[in-house]
Amino acid sequence: MYENITLSKKSKQFLENLRVYLFSTGKKEKEIDEIVEELEDHLMQAEQNGKSIEHIIGQSPKYYMELLASEMPIDVKAWMKYIPMILFGAFSFTIVQDLFEGTLAYSLLEIFGFLIISVLFLASISLAFRYIAGKNLSSRKQFVILYPVALLPLALFFGLIFLNKQVTTPLINFGLIGTIIIGIVTVIFIIGISIWSKTWVLPIVLAFVTLPDYLLGFTSLTESTRLITGTCFTFGGIMIYFWVSSKVAKD
Amino acid sequence: MSTTQMMKGILDGCILAIIKNKEVYGYELAEKLGEYGFSNFSEGTIYPLLLRMQKEKLVTSILKKSTAGPKRKYYRLTENGDQALKDFIRRWESLQTNVNHVLAQETKNERKIKNDV
Repeated sequence: MYENITLSKKSKQFLENLRVYLFSTGKKEKEIDEIVEELEDHLMQAEQNGKSIEHIIGQSPKYYMELLASEMPIDVKAWMKYIPMILFGAFSFTIVQDLFEGTLAYSLLEIFGFLIISVLFLASISLAFRYIAGKNLSSRKQFVILYPVALLPLALFFGLIFLNKQVTTPLINFGLIGTIIIGIVTVIFIIGISIWSKTWVLPIVLAFVTLPDYLLGFTSLTESTRLITGTCFTFGGIMIYFWVSSKVAKD
Repeated sequence: MSTTQMMKGILDGCILAIIKNKEVYGYELAEKLGEYGFSNFSEGTIYPLLLRMQKEKLVTSILKKSTAGPKRKYYRLTENGDQALKDFIRRWESLQTNVNHVLAQETKNERKIKNDV
């Protein structure tokens, strides 16, 4: 790219913000690259001719970003890939936490409940995406549609936990071998996801959520002390991890 | 109606007309519009319009190497775009005729009323 010509700091900042904004609204990576490059080229020529950035993007960068975003389609395919990952990620959290408690055992209601919620979630989110993709809606309207859909499984999971305490259904015991197999599959899945997504956020957060409680169980601390220290380790650890990784990303 | 409101549809038509005669890239297009006197709009406005026109398949884009710097995206009119331009010209001409009639007739009436008084 232009190595001898540099863009003003303000323009660089704007392009950076635009990229983040478009990415966070779920646009296609290729299209984001294209429009950012096009604007970079435009801004460079404009600045060489002594035009200000306001002359190009108007008085409100935010308004201009929204204008661009509203003309770009959401990357449905990429999201359809992420969603099962998020879902299985949630499963792996439950499974790993339960693995520390011994062999796995779930009630029939829990197993079917999980499956039904997953199917409902996948169906509703794909419907919502299809509706949005065909409608040409503003980002705000898209958010209004997607937000309840994203919250739906959360509400249903809480409902399931509550219901599971009220209703007794047969308990399915996976036994030692079953537990080991599920454990291995889960670990392979977590490693696979981390390699695929090029981030180790899932296993690291998982470790901070499960390990402190487990390790503190071996100490002679009282239960309330264990609970408090465990929580501190969990949240502190996750916060430090995000802080360090954002530092690394900046450099 | 503000100028910007009125401008939107008109800009679309003008962009199509410019692209029809010659493949242009974004900055070139903005410059041309500026030369024609469209000076009080922000140049970046053309990009959301171009994105929409691409979605509606009125224009396509191809990447061409430029002499200095990166590849540039050049816009080209499609058959749909050509049709849309024809429609725009027809609508614009009838609108222009109507507006001219109204203004000519009404200013004449205004003068008459003033003279009568």
